Amino acid sequence: MSAEIKPLEPIKTPYRFQYLSDEQLRQLQGATLSILERTGVRFPSEKALKILAEHGAQVDFNAQVVRFPSELVMKAMATVPRYFNIGARHPGYDFYLGDGCTYFTTDGCGVETIDLETRQRRPSCKEDVAMMARVVDYLPSVAFYWPMVSSQEHGRTAPLHDLDAGYRNTLKHIQSETIMGEADANYALEMSTVIAGSKEEMRKRPNFSLLVCTVAPLIQDKDGIEGAMVLAEAGVPVGFLSMPTLGTTAPATLAGALAMGDAEIISATVLMQVVNPGAPVFHSMMQAWADPSSGAYVSYPLDARGRYAPIEMAHHWGMPALGACYGTDSHEAGTWQAGSEVALDAYMVALTGAEFVTGMGLTQTYTRLYPESLLLDNDIYQKARYYLMPMQVDDETLALDTVEAVGPGGHYLAQKHTRRHMRAAMVRGVAHQISPDGHYHDPREYAIERTQWILANHHPEPVEEAKQKELDRILAAADRELNG
Amino acid sequence: MNNTTPAIQPITPAYHLRILEDAQIEQMRSATLQILSETGLHCPSEKALNIYAENGAQVNFGTQVVKIPPQIVLETMAHAPRFYTMGARSSAHDLVLDGKSTYLATDGCGVETIDFVTRQRRPSRKEDVAKMARIADYLSSIGFYWPIVSAQDFPATAPLHELEASYNNTVKHVQSETIMGARMASYAVEMARVIAGDEKTLLERPPLSLLVCCIAPLGLDSDGIESALVLAEAGLPVGFMSMANVGSTGPATLAGTMASGDAEIVGALVLIQMAYPGAPVFHSLMPGIMHPHTGAYLATAWEGTLLYAVGVEMAHHWGVPSLAGVFATDGQIPGWQSAGDAASSLMLCALCGAETGSGLGLLESCTLLYPEEILLDSDIYHRVRIEASGLDTRPEALALEVIHEVGPRGHFLRHRHTREHMRKRVFSDLTMQAGKQGGYRDPVEVAQEKVSWILEHHLVESLEPERVNELQRILKSADREFGQRG
Repeated sequence: MSAEIKPLEPIKTPYRFQYLSDEQLRQLQGATLSILERTGVRFPSEKALKILAEHGAQVDFNAQVVRFPSELVMKAMATVPRYFNIGARHPGYDFYLGDGCTYFTTDGCGVETIDLETRQRRPSCKEDVAMMARVVDYLPSVAFYWPMVSSQEHGRTAPLHDLDAGYRNTLKHIQSETIMGEADANYALEMSTVIAGSKEEMRKRPNFSLLVCTVAPLIQDKDGIEGAMVLAEAGVPVGFLSMPTLGTTAPATLAGALAMGDAEIISATVLMQVVNPGAPVFHSMMQAWADPSSGAYVSYPLDARGRYAPIEMAHHWGMPALGACYGTDSHEAGTWQAGSEVALDAYMVALTGAEFVTGMGLTQTYTRLYPESLLLDNDIYQKARYYLMPMQVDDETLALDTVEAVGPGGHYLAQKHTRRHMRAAMVRGVAHQISPDGHYHDPREYAIERTQWILANHHPEPVEEAKQKELDRILAAADRELNG
Repeated sequence: MNNTTPAIQPITPAYHLRILEDAQIEQMRSATLQILSETGLHCPSEKALNIYAENGAQVNFGTQVVKIPPQIVLETMAHAPRFYTMGARSSAHDLVLDGKSTYLATDGCGVETIDFVTRQRRPSRKEDVAKMARIADYLSSIGFYWPIVSAQDFPATAPLHELEASYNNTVKHVQSETIMGARMASYAVEMARVIAGDEKTLLERPPLSLLVCCIAPLGLDSDGIESALVLAEAGLPVGFMSMANVGSTGPATLAGTMASGDAEIVGALVLIQMAYPGAPVFHSLMPGIMHPHTGAYLATAWEGTLLYAVGVEMAHHWGVPSLAGVFATDGQIPGWQSAGDAASSLMLCALCGAETGSGLGLLESCTLLYPEEILLDSDIYHRVRIEASGLDTRPEALALEVIHEVGPRGHFLRHRHTREHMRKRVFSDLTMQAGKQGGYRDPVEVAQEKVSWILEHHLVESLEPERVNELQRILKSADREFGQRG
């Protein structure tokens, strides 16, 4: 039996928090324009270099470095849509990237899984992508799906298999962060068109989007940018994610790292806009730090300021932002570190006004999947969601008559008002679940049991059989062509 | 040898946030005024009832219920100071409550300790108060000290023994939440006088303050209120806290419980201002949510944390500083739950402008001391402090020349700018600690070791022997009076 559609539960809040002042935003934008014009960005793609040269960029074809006159940047950026629609296999899961509403996704592209049954650590596989898609389908906090780990047994075509496992196990939107190169992008486009039913429907309600990583400092990836061009031409939303690391691939000051990362994103966005003016593009930045004693990649040092700044920078450019949250550096799920590092994320990112946000559920700096992590991160998410809801102050909630009826020294247990509201007054998270012995369950153990329960009981509506066959056919062709 | 106590690093946010709209906060205030004038407060203290009656409240001496007309509430509250200083043994550690910074205390009055050595759970004792005061003295996250557990080995005079253990082991301000009754309070004032040294210092830089709990719904505690009057008379700051519980001792709606809790606090603050106009007071609204199955007070239900930040806004609307509730966790061991609960409420209370807050270091809804928890909470504190402090976008930080010099495809490792600024980046001293076998160590284990390190290495500047003796003398008289064997 297939499950009913549960409405999404995004964070909707009337509160707003401006992290950077208007003056700082202008300074940062000025810095980006200066980097683009004077220092330039390397595009190791003949195709991209030609297009940019045709549109007035200064291109050094030998060094493959492009310098962007500010007028070109401003003109191209004027066509980026500020708001657009995100589609899904089921229209009930479509959402709109507008103001005051923040949608979350899972983390993505881990490489190891702690097996839910054996609890042994092993390389991730397609079955894991499918399993987590089902959990995502069940959770109203997760609005869309990043395939959480890689279908590594499929080698070169793993990204397409991730997409396939996603489509077959959730009715929600899927965002890939691994599809690279023109050939892969064309196969992905074909698969998503099968799911949508037609190209036109896919343009209107894109059930799939792509996030491409830039390479710091100031480089675009050839396959990444060429795959993105294919999708931008087809009207599929594409985003660019820069990951500047302070002190190694970026300056050791936050503002410098932000400006440089922004220049990478904006240079790619300009290319998309000249390829297809008005193409939906989004902005995402995840700065990191190099551990000064080991050089290791750290995403949550104590001073992690700036995590939410890129959201405001995106809005200053007039683009939607994909906030970068969660993905603790802790090795394990449910530890003190896994809780403390990410605890602020959902609050701050929603207060800053990110339209959508990655990503819940991975540990070890987004490389390792403990299936229960998603429910633990979900709990922190829900706390933020309730916290940021407007508080209701009216006669019924002020309850002055009830206060008067109870008076000093009484209790409220027998009041009608209490009976009417108590059920809604306490919303239970994973930490307040009662076990048969009357004590509270250990939150992590509860999260494991709950994950098992979801997998045993939640079965999203399958993809129609004819479409399944089409997906099989496309995947087989891709495997033949790309996997050899 | 004594070490120097590091400077306090308060949270000084670059931003501010409002939760309630002006109209909502005005509605909340009207609700409080209506409850105080029409429903009233139960106040089982003859002395307090007389003060209320003399100052225009309607007092029913039979039922001990006081009703206070709105005009009297507003006029009396107008005397309460919005800003003042809470002093410390060393003036460098005074807390200036000027609305710009948030200072945090430890949690307080736990009843059980995980032993520092045996790691067994046992009832708390005076020696725990002393050891934790020394750790609090060392940590820059801690602005002032709440005796973190109860000195249960001195049951009759525990609050005074807690004070003595605190003053001997930290130079920071001490806030008690357990001094009850006029006699006990007089001894505490005497001890504060010894620490201050003279009357002027006691008034300008009071080294002691008191937090008194109200009894929900709408009740004041007679010992609590009488000790508050004694401290207020001496010029020491006193605050009142309501812990009304949504659904059992408060209505099952959040706004109703907030209004009922606020009425308790404001009713008590009015009494203090009636007796000693202009006395420094503070407001602390920390409602919980009743667990629907067990009836327990939950500090951190999904909806619960919002209430603390709203409490801060209500305090400011009444024109008094606030003590925010943060770090309360229902978690039972230092772990995911205790960590996840803390950061968000701290950030929101700081952005709402809380002057003070408690408290770091306890688990199991503020009853159990794990010595390492204070270090874990400190880590979260600093994460929030830095996050709230804003971003530097001056040219040196934007580093455009550096980016240009490195250019596409280079790296920044060898640049002078990197060497200079990488050192200024702040990393946790608990997470990312390299293990001997490679990988990182468990932060909880690192925190446990750090507790031992601090206790071994951090010696607090001692009180002069005459003051130590004076405190001893006061304690002895109190022990005699209350029948506590030495």
